[in-house]
Amino acid sequence: MSSIEPGTTLRHVLPNGMVALIRRNPGAPTVSVRGEIRVGAAMEPVEQGGLAVFTGAALIRGAGERSFQQIVAETEGRGCSVSAGGGVQASGFAGKALSEDLPLILEVLADMLIRPTFPAVEVERLRSQFLSGLRESEQDTGYRASIAAQAMLYPASHPFSQPSGGTLDSVAAITRDDLARFHRRYHPALTSIAVVGDIDPLAVVAELERRFAGWQITDAPEAVYIPDAPPLTGIQRRDIPMPGKVQADLIWSVHGLRRADPDYYAAMVANMILGQIGMGGRLGEQVREEQGMAYYCYSDIEADLGAGPWMAAAGVSPENVEPAIEAILEEIDLFRQDGPTDEELDDAHAYLTGSLVIGLETSDGIAGSLLGIERHGLGSDYIARYPAIIAAIDHEQVIAAAQKYLSTEVYVLAVAGPV
Amino acid sequence: MSDSVIAHTLPNGMLVLLKEAHGAPVATSWIWYRVGSRNEASGRTGISHWVEHMLFKGTPQIPAGHLDRLVARNGGVFNGFTWIDYTAYYETLPADRIALGLQIESDRMVNALFAEEEVESERTVIISELEGYANEPETWLDEAVKDAAFTRHPYRHPVIGYRADLEAMTRADLYDHYQTFYMPNNAVLVLVGDFNADAMLRQAEAAFADLPAGPPLPQAPTAEPAPQAERRVIVRRPGPAAYVQIGYLAPDCRSPDFAPLAILDSALSGAKSLTFMGGGTQTNRSARLYPALVESGLAASAWSGVTPSRDPYLFELGATASEGVDPAAVEAALIAEVTKIQQDGIAESELARTRKQMRAQVAYSGESVTNQAMQLGMWEALDSYRRVDTLLDELASVSAEDVRRVAQTYLTSHRRTVGYFVPDESA
Repeated sequence: MSSIEPGTTLRHVLPNGMVALIRRNPGAPTVSVRGEIRVGAAMEPVEQGGLAVFTGAALIRGAGERSFQQIVAETEGRGCSVSAGGGVQASGFAGKALSEDLPLILEVLADMLIRPTFPAVEVERLRSQFLSGLRESEQDTGYRASIAAQAMLYPASHPFSQPSGGTLDSVAAITRDDLARFHRRYHPALTSIAVVGDIDPLAVVAELERRFAGWQITDAPEAVYIPDAPPLTGIQRRDIPMPGKVQADLIWSVHGLRRADPDYYAAMVANMILGQIGMGGRLGEQVREEQGMAYYCYSDIEADLGAGPWMAAAGVSPENVEPAIEAILEEIDLFRQDGPTDEELDDAHAYLTGSLVIGLETSDGIAGSLLGIERHGLGSDYIARYPAIIAAIDHEQVIAAAQKYLSTEVYVLAVAGPV
Repeated sequence: MSDSVIAHTLPNGMLVLLKEAHGAPVATSWIWYRVGSRNEASGRTGISHWVEHMLFKGTPQIPAGHLDRLVARNGGVFNGFTWIDYTAYYETLPADRIALGLQIESDRMVNALFAEEEVESERTVIISELEGYANEPETWLDEAVKDAAFTRHPYRHPVIGYRADLEAMTRADLYDHYQTFYMPNNAVLVLVGDFNADAMLRQAEAAFADLPAGPPLPQAPTAEPAPQAERRVIVRRPGPAAYVQIGYLAPDCRSPDFAPLAILDSALSGAKSLTFMGGGTQTNRSARLYPALVESGLAASAWSGVTPSRDPYLFELGATASEGVDPAAVEAALIAEVTKIQQDGIAESELARTRKQMRAQVAYSGESVTNQAMQLGMWEALDSYRRVDTLLDELASVSAEDVRRVAQTYLTSHRRTVGYFVPDESA
């Protein structure tokens, strides 16, 4: 490895296939570590809902020679932190420290990924916390609307149809050995780690080589695969009465697209204009600003390894549920018909390119970006190319994306609250 | 940090704080007004927060609905918030666009229109915001605890306000509140970023110097009388779990006892960045509350916090009860942790740990200009911007005996309000 220029990212592949992305950011005497293993809930059997999430959260509960109590005492004692968790398409891990404490957090994170111990007592404590969290989620209007929408969007066999955190029943049934078994699916060749901060990149490479050399899995890596979902037909609606609540959450949704889909940038710009920019794009402007119906109304698109939902959401009082749905559908129709105005398109271009620097101000922000660039194979020059990619998205492409994916005739709708 | 801050007071009384930061081509502009729910009379609760909303609803120069797009097209992010002691607005932008922040804030300090139709539209938006909070069990508990802990001081009512007051508020009420508190001599402008401080100060002067100072501000709110007896409240509503929240009437942030209380809080749940609303980071799992409440199985989670405030506010601790656990057992365990510190103090190792954690917190917040400006502005609104640094010195010189003393002085049963949220489907 030759010398590293300041501000450049060193991408180093370890012999076991693990990818390290290292960048010096000397602004503060700190370091951020963000990583992922592309193993997630998408790979768990339906009856073991929550397994990936539970496994990720359990890594800190005992790893290598250290107990959970030792890990938290040593890290918190120095004002640093380590964490891990599971998601649908990947399991993530992270660390934050003063630069002088980087060796400690790399040592602990390596132990967490490679040799977690899953002590039975700790597993039960964690289970109890998960069950408590699930009880709270199941009384949350936003959560109930979201999982209802997911269940309508995707068939039961599809990984996106179930909440990644599982249910009270499924989490109660997971055993300590289930966690250990799921952990064995983690693989260095499916793992990326970004280290950004006041560090010497070459020294960090050496440290990572030392810490992760022992991570050898003989089985071939099995990557997450998200199948396509069958297209929706007609309108599906579910109303979930929750009498103790004051406000209802409503979610309109259709299928979105994968990050790798050539339509992605056009869809992303479309979503920005429809329901993000400023205080919620057109949806926010109409439902909040014009009609005063909701404190929040926005749209969002989840484009990752799999095609997640493209959804619009609002929190409204019960008497405003139908008017809000009507207003959202009207805005979507209008957008499909006419697409963005020139001003909206210019604003979206300007915002996306202009705000890049803000997202890359901190080491956390940079580390997260590097991880995303690696996950989707966007290339080391992605950030430099980004403004031109966005500038090339024109009115025709945006309206085409809106017409392809958005619909007011084929969609799912979930309403949860005092209805 | 405050050594590298340039402070300049304009002739109209507005303080301008500037700090250069060249780590990234980013800059942030914050304006803080010394007005919050503490300034609200009975019948007018929620007025400061509503005024904050109206500042986004149009001036002659920037019509309603335009401000957010204006910031976005310049690549920026923005927000505003209202708290018990202050209202703040910020824009974070690419460094070469930071003048937009000055333009927006100098304009809306004096020119906000408060148009009738916008006032009406915002009435239902704010009620919708209130209703969203009312979906959360913790909101009900928190409001009940504050209502009981404060008998006279406006801290007793929620920042969002009572629904009845929101329904009755008039445009005249709002505009009067705006004219009373939104003036340069009640404001602090904070600018941090990749700029030249002298040039930036000249731009700030050009934007703000001609804005007229206002008349003297209304008197401080009614002081809370010394509490004489423990107070208890129970909220019964549908909910997923039982929650316990305990608040002790504590000194304001200017007190020499504030630093020892912050250390006490750290011993219970870890050192935190002392910005907006006090808390923010996850409870340390090696601090005292976690083993005592969570590892013991009594609670799914536990927390504590001290909020820097203008007037005496609350030192708080709380927990989410595990299923099947009586909130009384959770309360007993929380109070037992307080009693332990009253009797035995804390260990030197805990002091050392807190100091290291604080050092780390300072370094982490130094990564973001937005965060740095937030800390400078908050402390200036409450006390002095220099407190960002002097508080660290105070914290470093707190002894274990100081911590024991403040625990004995302030965390007493007669200064305490205990609240339970008990899930009850029939309520």
